[in-house]
Amino acid sequence: MKNLIEEIAKALVDIPEEVSVNALEGEQVTVLELRVAPSDLGKVIGKQGRTARSIRTILGAAGMKLNRRFTLEILE
Amino acid sequence: MRERKYTVASSGPKIERFLRPLLKAAGFKLDFQIVDGESVHPEVEDPEVVVKLTGPDVDLLLSNKAELLLALEHVTMEALGVPSDHHALLCFDANDYRMLRIEELRLSAAAAADRVKRTGTPFTFNPMNSRERRVIHLSMRNETTLRSESVGLGSHRQVVIYPAGMPSPPQPAGSFDRRPPRGGRR
Repeated sequence: MKNLIEEIAKALVDIPEEVSVNALEGEQVTVLELRVAPSDLGKVIGKQGRTARSIRTILGAAGMKLNRRFTLEILE
Repeated sequence: MRERKYTVASSGPKIERFLRPLLKAAGFKLDFQIVDGESVHPEVEDPEVVVKLTGPDVDLLLSNKAELLLALEHVTMEALGVPSDHHALLCFDANDYRMLRIEELRLSAAAAADRVKRTGTPFTFNPMNSRERRVIHLSMRNETTLRSESVGLGSHRQVVIYPAGMPSPPQPAGSFDRRPPRGGRR
């Protein structure tokens, strides 16, 4: 799942080398922390947060297949 | 024939390079084919390239008003750097969802129009995305005794059909909605 978010983020940003994803495993939920270059923040969030919402939808559906909940935190 | 901005030959490989690994990493059991767009409703949607998804996970793709299908489409457009005013030229579809949804929206619009004419009271649709709201506005285009407008913000924006002469109610206090009404062409 970490890999999934990394691939999507790298395709969206201008500076893929600065994309990193950290997974924090909880009992019920895995939190995925996404970091990108400050100048790329808008690229992963999108207008009115639409890109971030789309990534979360993809993550949610992928998690459903694994019976596991994932949340995505985009860190500034 | 019109000149195409996007073709299977020019966009296909880029879509392929992004989408194929994404579907695999997400564990979705989906395959896709990239084909030339051919629209049944050219005045509403007239895509140049269509990505047709198939496979056991199509139900997942189309559940909750095709939320996943539209999310994959949006992320792919952004990853390919397609400017937002071109997003409608590349379209994701599965089981003819897009065409069927347009027909469903048109039927809803016709039923709502009848009701407003009969009762003289406005009808408010459930919230829809801009593409879907546009279908409703377009189907109201030739209605001389009705008008349509969108109210609300972001994902809560919804179409309201009014009798032509009826003014819109004032926006509730604290509303941040400063967008002017955007009715269909009348």
